[in-house]
Amino acid sequence: MAALSWLEWNPTSFNINNPWTWSPGSDKKVCFVTTGATAPFTALIESVLKPSSIEALRNQGYTHLLIQYGTAKDVFSSCAGAAQCNTRKDSRREALTIDGIDFFPEGLKTQFKLVQQSKGLVISHAGSGSILEALRYQVPLLVVPNTGLLDNHQEELAVAMERSNYLVRGDVKDLAPAIQKSEDFKDKMTQFPPITSGGHRETKSFADIMDETMGFLD
Amino acid sequence: MPSPPPLSALYSLSFLLALLTTLLVAASLRLLAILPTTHTSAPLAAARRKHPHATRLLIVLGSGGHTHEMLYLLRALDPAKYTHRTYVVGAGDAFSAQRAVEFEREVEGRERERARARGDGDGDGDIEKRKPKTEMETETQAQRDQPTPPRTLRTGPEAYNIATIPRARHIHQPLLTTPLTALSTLLYSFPPLLSSPPLLPAQPPQTPYEAAAADLPDLILTNGPATGVLVVLAALVLKFFDVRGAQSRGMCKTVYVESFARVRTLSLSGRCLVWVVDRFVVQWEELEGRGGRAEFWGVLV
Repeated sequence: MAALSWLEWNPTSFNINNPWTWSPGSDKKVCFVTTGATAPFTALIESVLKPSSIEALRNQGYTHLLIQYGTAKDVFSSCAGAAQCNTRKDSRREALTIDGIDFFPEGLKTQFKLVQQSKGLVISHAGSGSILEALRYQVPLLVVPNTGLLDNHQEELAVAMERSNYLVRGDVKDLAPAIQKSEDFKDKMTQFPPITSGGHRETKSFADIMDETMGFLD
Repeated sequence: MPSPPPLSALYSLSFLLALLTTLLVAASLRLLAILPTTHTSAPLAAARRKHPHATRLLIVLGSGGHTHEMLYLLRALDPAKYTHRTYVVGAGDAFSAQRAVEFEREVEGRERERARARGDGDGDGDIEKRKPKTEMETETQAQRDQPTPPRTLRTGPEAYNIATIPRARHIHQPLLTTPLTALSTLLYSFPPLLSSPPLLPAQPPQTPYEAAAADLPDLILTNGPATGVLVVLAALVLKFFDVRGAQSRGMCKTVYVESFARVRTLSLSGRCLVWVVDRFVVQWEELEGRGGRAEFWGVLV
């Protein structure tokens, strides 16, 4: 029955037309946060909406913050309300627009595209599916492992991916340093998936491995 | 002349033990013969085929993450080489079945685009309008000069099927009853392994493609769902008894790809299959050589 609940998503609950669309020449800069579909990572939602994280985002020129909160709508609403109030007090700068979405059964294509076009940032939980999807869009990715999970390989994957320079790893307790780091990271991130030629050792694509096993000659 | 031993001797304990020992030895020898050798990091000594004609590929899809990764792995799938695809999904996994259909649609679209770019197929006059660069022209010219057989579009609903089998283990299922559900998964794995359903019932295959589709798979791919372990074991049973020449014709080759999320340790499915599959591929260098045979060729997803 759990699988059914996300099919009941109502398209009107999130209005895609405004302000979450991209028009050429816009000075919009979007940060998109995804917390995973199965078990929402509420600590990440709280952490992103903390004053220090919001401050770091505004310092880097972000104008829009979109959070995919999954089933943790109440956590999002209470934190987002407070954060929005704080940013409005600061009249010297343009307010940071904060919005949330629950879950999209058809994937997060639109959101990743928006980040890509606005040269923004994706902040994600460390699930391999989300990491792979975000990296296909060549967007800078800040991954926050869920330390609350026992016997989890998320941290291992995040460490290995950071070592290969595919992403920036952040600590859920304090995201501000990682947000700052992500700005420089944009220029030196490694392309993913890696190009399967050159490099320090022989690489093969999966299609090569299949053909080889079958004995196909090119 | 000595009289033959009485028939009752056959029921004695010592005879039973001797029989069991003989069977055990025979079975072990058979397993040794069919299981891949430890040192298979070098390319398999597969029969080399120049023009792959008609083959069947069996792909085991799993829960969300495994399905995603498998379809990323297959992004460069050439339907002219792997002419029939069978996707095996767990019962109730509508998501994976849906993804398989979408994936096949993408493959079809890509092939049509290619055919159009080459100027054959249904996109005739397009090549005139586009006016390709000279280097492109020479390339297509060279391709035409080659005596390669024309590529037939092996895409669309006729070129693939989706087989549903019971799940090996349901979410939150107690460990105690898992052997039972696993056994039923194993038994239900045989029909999709033996053949894919014919296009027209009660009619022998008309083309080599249909013959391949009705035959055992040439290649089986899995990347970690429990269902995949049982499908591979079912294929092992077919090889053990050489059912429909599974062993003697070199069918049912198996490739296991460990999940990209596995950086330092193998998954349970991986540990189950590391000795059984023909090729065991990992995606992080640290896992290379696990079980004496894990291959690493870079990130594949």
